[in-house]
Amino acid sequence: MNNKRQTVNGAKRWLSRRHWNYIRSLVYMLQASEYIIVDFLKWHERVKDFRFVEKRKHLTFTPKTVILFTLGWIVLLATLSGAVFVFYTIASPWNYLLAALLVFEAPLIAMVSLLFFVICMRFAQYPVEQFFIARTKKHLIAHRGIKIAIAGSFGKTSMREVLKAVLSEGRKVAAPGESYNTPLSIARFVKELKGDEDVLIFELGEYYPGDVRKLAQMVRPEWGIITGVNEAHLEKFGVLKNTTDTVFELAESVDASRLYVNGESELARARSKGGNILYTRSGTEEWQVKNPNTDLSGITFTLLKNGVSINVHSSVCGLHVLGPLSAAVHIASRLGLASHEISDGIAKTKPFAHRLEPKQWPDGVTFIDDSYNGNPDGARAAIEFLASLQGRRFYVTPGLVEAGLRIKEVHEEIGKQLAKAGIEKVVLIRTSVASYMESGLQAGDFKGEILRYDDMPSALAALRALALPGDVILIQNDWPDQYA
Amino acid sequence: MRKNIAVIFGGKSAEHDISIITAHVPIIDSLLVNGKFDVWPVYIAKGGSWYADKAMNNLAFFKQDAWEEKVAKMKKIGLLFDNGLELVWPGLLSKKVKIDIVFPAMHGTYGEDGSLMGLLRMAGAPFVGCDLAASAVAMDKVLTKQVVAAEGMPVVPYVWFTRTEWKEDKETVLTKAKTLSMPVFVKPVHLGSSIGMTRVKNEKELLNAIEVALHYDDKVLVENAVEPLIEITLPIMGNDKPRVAECERPLNKTEFFDFNDKYLANGKKSEGSGANSAYSEVPANIDDDLSNKVKELGVRVYKALGCAGIARVDFLIRADTKEMYVNEVNTLPGSLYHHNWKKAGVSNMELVLELVRLAEDRFVRQKETTYTFHSDILQKVGSSGKVGLKV
Repeated sequence: MNNKRQTVNGAKRWLSRRHWNYIRSLVYMLQASEYIIVDFLKWHERVKDFRFVEKRKHLTFTPKTVILFTLGWIVLLATLSGAVFVFYTIASPWNYLLAALLVFEAPLIAMVSLLFFVICMRFAQYPVEQFFIARTKKHLIAHRGIKIAIAGSFGKTSMREVLKAVLSEGRKVAAPGESYNTPLSIARFVKELKGDEDVLIFELGEYYPGDVRKLAQMVRPEWGIITGVNEAHLEKFGVLKNTTDTVFELAESVDASRLYVNGESELARARSKGGNILYTRSGTEEWQVKNPNTDLSGITFTLLKNGVSINVHSSVCGLHVLGPLSAAVHIASRLGLASHEISDGIAKTKPFAHRLEPKQWPDGVTFIDDSYNGNPDGARAAIEFLASLQGRRFYVTPGLVEAGLRIKEVHEEIGKQLAKAGIEKVVLIRTSVASYMESGLQAGDFKGEILRYDDMPSALAALRALALPGDVILIQNDWPDQYA
Repeated sequence: MRKNIAVIFGGKSAEHDISIITAHVPIIDSLLVNGKFDVWPVYIAKGGSWYADKAMNNLAFFKQDAWEEKVAKMKKIGLLFDNGLELVWPGLLSKKVKIDIVFPAMHGTYGEDGSLMGLLRMAGAPFVGCDLAASAVAMDKVLTKQVVAAEGMPVVPYVWFTRTEWKEDKETVLTKAKTLSMPVFVKPVHLGSSIGMTRVKNEKELLNAIEVALHYDDKVLVENAVEPLIEITLPIMGNDKPRVAECERPLNKTEFFDFNDKYLANGKKSEGSGANSAYSEVPANIDDDLSNKVKELGVRVYKALGCAGIARVDFLIRADTKEMYVNEVNTLPGSLYHHNWKKAGVSNMELVLELVRLAEDRFVRQKETTYTFHSDILQKVGSSGKVGLKV
């Protein structure tokens, strides 16, 4: 039975590579893989049907993708023309063999050509990139603003948004939108600065060793924040030590007394040095967090420093945000912001898009969108927040990606956390990691119900049919097309 | 082995478009995600042709431009009644699908009036919802009142007459109508959604209102208006042991407006909201005592009419005296009133699956009844056709 299914799947894959949509699919996959050839090839190997790779997103036509798309078709048509030429010019029987080979392997030839072109582009891009990096460095040296850099395996965007909101009350702050954390995207952001900004906040992305150092040398930050180290991107780093080393490359560029480290992240705390400022949900050395409380309206707590207390409310959900808020408050205080400015700044922080973002369905169901949260610490925070809410609770997840060799442990741990939290319904998407989560649920003596669906859209459709007013549904992580 | 379920919708009815919504939200949507059914959407066009194509399982199909033209290009289906119901796609590449259960989702004429149920009975196919007799009685407001009143339940004073009676003797009809106290409502007997209905304050308006009602129907009902009015509607589900949902107070009676506005004009709302959800109060803000009386009376009406599966009973209540009257019964509430059932703790999935279970349960019990028997009457009949038996 399995052999038959494998044969059918193999045939479907083979045929779909000969479908007219194949070139478009290749270009989309290259774009979605950020032109990282290893990632692209791994994805290509996994695809069962090339007609349907654009599920969550679609190909965006940029100058680069237009060139690739056109090139792909030119190569494909040229190969087919070559087959005709060979058929009529070479003697039998070689003409049959060669023509057939060209016809059947035209998609492979097109793919190899595209990859070759991507590699060539990278070589061509290198001097351009170096030029932009040099220009950005120069701009930033001349810029009067304080530069704050954020590095870490997770929580960089949330930290950036919290910091931006808090500091904006007393200072003119600029930070790149979206997840602009690569040299070229930062260069683009810096080019648009007006020069009168008081504070510039940068996210430093890390995919490979040396990435953070390269970006830190470009940005030259005076202040740094390390949001934590975990299994995110472990597939690329191999072992957690490499991730830690890469994230802590930021420490090389920042004075120890201006480096903030997430004390709740075990690996980050272990690597921190004397003089670094640890922040946790209890606050920092200077600022203490008291009486924290969270629900769907956000988080309320009291900040204490030298006998002075400030009652604050943020509409960001979850107690895990107390750490980043404390770090932001500490920095704001050191930069000279008054207590009321800090309080007003915290009040202006809002839920981040797709990160524990509460929404209401028309029929009284609460839907918490945590679909951009794909790391173990984020999952723990999501479970903790969901567990604190009233109503029948659904936790929906396909699991996490890029957890490398620790993939089994990470997902078993999520299962155990869900069991311990007493979540009523766990909705699993049938991915390669679902069985690990089920093992964890069993190990944790899970008392609720496990529901299983093939993909996220099916799960969401089912939840619309299953949910009742008062239910709370949390979507934790949504796998991008390359992992689905 | 998945069961083949046919959801029949559309039809030659003023409520054709509403039926498309009901079929999808919540019926087809729930059946599809349940995974235990092979869902066949059976669409009856306004002209009466039948189509079944799985592309129609998606409500988006009916929102695209020129969808009716796309339907017209599909292969029409036929029906076979050999040992159950079969859908047949004729032609060179003919195909047959044996249907295990039918979920009627047709409102109004030919669907909700018992016609479709008669067809399904003939086919010997189990189907969801009220059977032929209950559907036919509920479709006729006068028959409903007569049954309800005969069972000792309260209805507002009313008179009725046919188009022929009106044409032949207007004076007698008017004399009958004048026995009621103004204001009164004049209604076509078989139509819902307030079509052709007029509130009449004096005798002068009565004549015109009757003409309007007779334009839409050949049977007209004139009844006392209940004022000050609290309208309450109550969804009920079950066969022999019905269970009630929440008492609901409509704040806008125009159901057409609700559906068009909420589903077709705004796709987003169709994902979660139900008929009237923004235009009604669920549960109704009435005291517990009144609510309990409504529920008790609702179940009595449901049983008196022989309803099964699902229905909705509507009540008129005098706000000052709390006098309660049964108004009418709807055997296929729009979108199954799933918004109300959710408030009562029944999810869309549970609602749809329970209705399927009830249909299967009724079908099994119906099988226990013998409808045919062997006789030698044909052998006995003489050339004159006389048998000597009293038949």
